Amino acid sequence: MPSWEDFKPFIITGLALGGVYALSGVGMVVLYRATGVLNLAFGAVGAMGALIAWQLINHNGWAEGPAFAACVLFGGAVTLLYGVIFGPPLASRDPLIKATATLGLTLVLLGVMDLIWSDKARSMILPTSNHGFEVSNVFVNYTEVIAIAFALGVMAVTAVFLRFTKTGTAMRALANDREITATLGVPVRRVEAAAWLGSGLLSGAAGLLLSNLVGLDAATLTFLVISSLAATLIGRLRSITVTFIAAIVIGLVNALITPILSISQYRDMTPFVLATIALLVLSGRRGSALSGRAG
Amino acid sequence: MRKHLGSRKTRSVLSLLILAVGLSIVVSACGSSNKSSTTSGGGGGGGGSSTSSQAADVTKCGTKPGVKATGTPIKLGAIVTKQPGTDFTDGATMADAYFHCVNDNGGINGHPIQYKWYEEQTNPAQIAGFAHKLIQTDKVVGVVGGFSIIECAVDHKYWESLGIYELDAGIAPECWGTSNSAPPNMGPRYSSDGAVQGVVRAGAKKIAFDQSNVPGTGYIAAGPASVAKALNVPIQQFKDNVPIQDANSIALKLVQAAGSDGGVVLNFTPPEALKILQAAQQQNLQDRVKAWACSTPCNTDFVAKALGQQWDGKLLVNAELNVTDNNGPQTRLYRAVFDKYGSKVSGGLGSFSQMGFVMAQQTVMALESIKGGTYNIKTVNQAIKNLKGFKTDMLCKPWYYGQAPLHIPNNTDYTTTPHNGKMVIKDGCIPINAADPGIAQVRAIEKKDPSLSQPGTPVPGA
Repeated sequence: MPSWEDFKPFIITGLALGGVYALSGVGMVVLYRATGVLNLAFGAVGAMGALIAWQLINHNGWAEGPAFAACVLFGGAVTLLYGVIFGPPLASRDPLIKATATLGLTLVLLGVMDLIWSDKARSMILPTSNHGFEVSNVFVNYTEVIAIAFALGVMAVTAVFLRFTKTGTAMRALANDREITATLGVPVRRVEAAAWLGSGLLSGAAGLLLSNLVGLDAATLTFLVISSLAATLIGRLRSITVTFIAAIVIGLVNALITPILSISQYRDMTPFVLATIALLVLSGRRGSALSGRAG
Repeated sequence: MRKHLGSRKTRSVLSLLILAVGLSIVVSACGSSNKSSTTSGGGGGGGGSSTSSQAADVTKCGTKPGVKATGTPIKLGAIVTKQPGTDFTDGATMADAYFHCVNDNGGINGHPIQYKWYEEQTNPAQIAGFAHKLIQTDKVVGVVGGFSIIECAVDHKYWESLGIYELDAGIAPECWGTSNSAPPNMGPRYSSDGAVQGVVRAGAKKIAFDQSNVPGTGYIAAGPASVAKALNVPIQQFKDNVPIQDANSIALKLVQAAGSDGGVVLNFTPPEALKILQAAQQQNLQDRVKAWACSTPCNTDFVAKALGQQWDGKLLVNAELNVTDNNGPQTRLYRAVFDKYGSKVSGGLGSFSQMGFVMAQQTVMALESIKGGTYNIKTVNQAIKNLKGFKTDMLCKPWYYGQAPLHIPNNTDYTTTPHNGKMVIKDGCIPINAADPGIAQVRAIEKKDPSLSQPGTPVPGA
């Protein structure tokens, strides 16, 4: 069994990994709360945005700033386009069908990325990754700090936005009942479009950070969303705060298992094991509460 | 009513969890589209981004410069791995580029080479199906230029039953341990042996060896273990799932295991190795061990460029083939062919495409040795089996096939290191340690028949 000194550095890497999961998880919950769509293309959109930024910097001579902006804008544009075209026809369908439909976008984007960039080694180092500070002999770079701060910021801003703004209130109403909200005169399509755009911009920003924290690789970034999904499920697709905390816990547990060699190679199961345990516990509690109320 | 709503929500959430788990299984089990590419004689694509310092004459590909081959095609085929985290298509696409070049310059006695390959996702049934398809449907007469994780293991008995002598690169032990397969590379096991030797030469007193968690890791791990034991250096072995999602923790784990006077040896495809190396860099770990090393896949300028100058001289890559910018005639021809015909070689100049080029040249050399103009499974494979003394500036010593129970003809190699965005030679040809039983066995075969590895007929383009 490793010593506490051995574990210490993994707390830092775990927090960074948790921040990575939180970024995607929070972005998905925001959209789900507004539109009822669990966007499984979140990772693919971010991955393609990051690859476009890489292309613009390395092959088109763009400066980093505009290329990074293009990545974020690409995320917003593609997600908005999908939402505007496919959102309304799928609005009344089961959440599982809506989620599965976004897999279509995922596969299209994966195919395009494979065609254009193939599965080759490339990297995009953000300027913030070259600087940092030490905590307990562990170097923490500023991109890792930005990832966690960004996830926290998104969580806070979204919570305030949904609670205190007119559009946020409309989004919450939409999530509860689309038909009734429409009859109350809320411009449903415009509000939904705002949610798709916001989530898309977030996916672009997340893709940019994740390409640096995880690696500029289409498949990895695309399917990172699966691990983040575990956090959103623990948050029952509603609570941004719980999703954030769950993501951090998943990242921490995943990293802290690494030096325990007997179970290290099974650590990729961490998100699903934790999600399953959390859902079973939550279902049990809800069941007890309901039966207690009925009795 | 509330109870009903609650259970419905729980069902929805559980359904999505099942969907997520299902997706993760699909991601690990299958890859991108299962496509095949067919090429026949004729012009190739546009240019790649070669860094050639001296241009070579692509008309040297064939015996009749500038004359397109129009005869009956000689059909050849291959099976290559392409899945998330593992893309070996550069071998086949580069072989295809060379065949195009040959076809544009006379072909094989006027016959163009028609080359077809299938992309597999480490599924034995799929691979076996492709092998039968190549023979029964596509009517290929030779299996050359393939590069797969498990194809050798799945198909070697089938090839043996048909009398096919496969020219392939790969991962599975059967690529080097059977009578009907001879690769231009030495594979992950022997290349990892060389990488272990590299970090020990750099002064490492302990080794942390990590590789991707794919079939055949036990076979690979045995090589570095035996070499480290012979060199009196303790070794700790790890496996990590690919695609890697948490490279930071992996880099940290390896550095902790190696210690300050140790070395880290990686056996991954370039994108995955790059993730670990960059994670090490971002955590300032690159100087926390004596040396970092990689098996052959890292020997590509893509990796050197992506890593940047912080790794110059610090990463030792066991290179089964020479650097891509050396000025030997074969390498110059390789670059020229890549420039003119290599638009499909997505990874650019690097080990994988070099292997494809070498295999294609070996194939052409074998085909040109056939007298009488009959190109069927029997004549083509007999010619491939008879190859020996194949000398190219891409390999340390002449390559051979021959009749033997196992084939590791490439068993002496280079060590490269990044320098200004390129891979440069750090150490010249160094034999892989014969503490690995396979190497010991093949050295005995070479000793018994020295003509196998003596320079023979010059290869095409020399």
